[in-house]
Amino acid sequence: MYIRTSSRPGEKRSRTIALITGGVVIVVVVFQLFIPHFIPALFTTIVRPFWRMEFSVMSGSLKSPGALLAENEALKIQLQAVMASDASSDMVRTENGELLSLLGRSTSIITSSSSTSTAPAVTLSGTVNSSRLLGAVLSRPPFASYDELIVDVGSDHGLTVGSKVYGPGNILIGTVSDVLSETSKVTLFSSPSQTYPVLIGAGHIPASAIGRGGGQYEAQIPQATQIAQGDIVSDASLGDGAFGTVTSVLNNPADPFETVLFSPGINVYQLRWVLIDTGISTSNYIQTNSVAKPATSSTSSKSVPVNSKSKR
Amino acid sequence: MSQAIILRICIYVATIFCIINGWWFIALPLLLLGAWKFSFKIEIVLAGVAYDALFGMIKGTGLWGYVGTLTAIVIVLLFMIFRKMIR
Repeated sequence: MYIRTSSRPGEKRSRTIALITGGVVIVVVVFQLFIPHFIPALFTTIVRPFWRMEFSVMSGSLKSPGALLAENEALKIQLQAVMASDASSDMVRTENGELLSLLGRSTSIITSSSSTSTAPAVTLSGTVNSSRLLGAVLSRPPFASYDELIVDVGSDHGLTVGSKVYGPGNILIGTVSDVLSETSKVTLFSSPSQTYPVLIGAGHIPASAIGRGGGQYEAQIPQATQIAQGDIVSDASLGDGAFGTVTSVLNNPADPFETVLFSPGINVYQLRWVLIDTGISTSNYIQTNSVAKPATSSTSSKSVPVNSKSKR
Repeated sequence: MSQAIILRICIYVATIFCIINGWWFIALPLLLLGAWKFSFKIEIVLAGVAYDALFGMIKGTGLWGYVGTLTAIVIVLLFMIFRKMIR
């Protein structure tokens, strides 16, 4: 025999669940309003060791010593070959820098980084000076509504929101969108609703790269510009960094504009390392693509941030 | 240990693993299974908050940054309403 405290125990339970759910929502809202990074930092701190462990396993930490030594040797040989070929491009970079300085153009902002985390900090020094951090890609959620990477460097390395992120081959792929203490979130330019000013082809036709997701972009350019598959797409900055290669041109004679599809030439979902430029903030470049207008020279020039204009 | 408890633990572990890796498309069916079998409610909300905390909650993305939490709340509400209707 027992005393029933409520005539409808199910209802009481529902009320409790509703209260707890409401409480969780209120807590999230309050923290996001007053301490925006608290909840992401808390969860990321808990999960980071798992991400690191996963990264180590994927990087081959569990391989046998013999296999690692062999791989090390192969990489050393490969590095020597790359260094030899890099010598010639160094000459071009030097020449470019000299020409830029002759014309009174400075493109360098140097920031140094501390190397307290497990990620090595590298400095790519050329004539156009820039300091870049090497970041390990800890996670990349697939099928998310936005293309995003989680990297293992954060405010401890002086990262700021808007820092440019490069993939292998110096290809610009995105910007840092959120910085936590030891990790950062990188939003890729290929994320839907992101746009970025680019120059297409040998004629440097200005356009806005519109993210299509999965590392793919599209851009609208006027007809008869003679853009063909394989043409280079560069970012519309002084450095003229690589942005991608034209994969297809969709041409409708009835339309005054043609659609150019291009991709960075690297699979963003297979990236293990990225380089993060800690110098130049490009947060102004990111715009919400509410209206996907065709980019002409006038629209392109509008999307250039004010501070860049003043530099030019 | 009863089979129900083992299944429950398996669902928890699998869901946590999926959320850590951002595999929401696997975590969601697992949570729905948990909701159907074991009346998961708070677990669903916590999973939504955790997913957003890890991969969302980015300034400038608006409600898109909270899509996990919002979806979780909608699922919990739907389960509660359906339960009432079935009763």
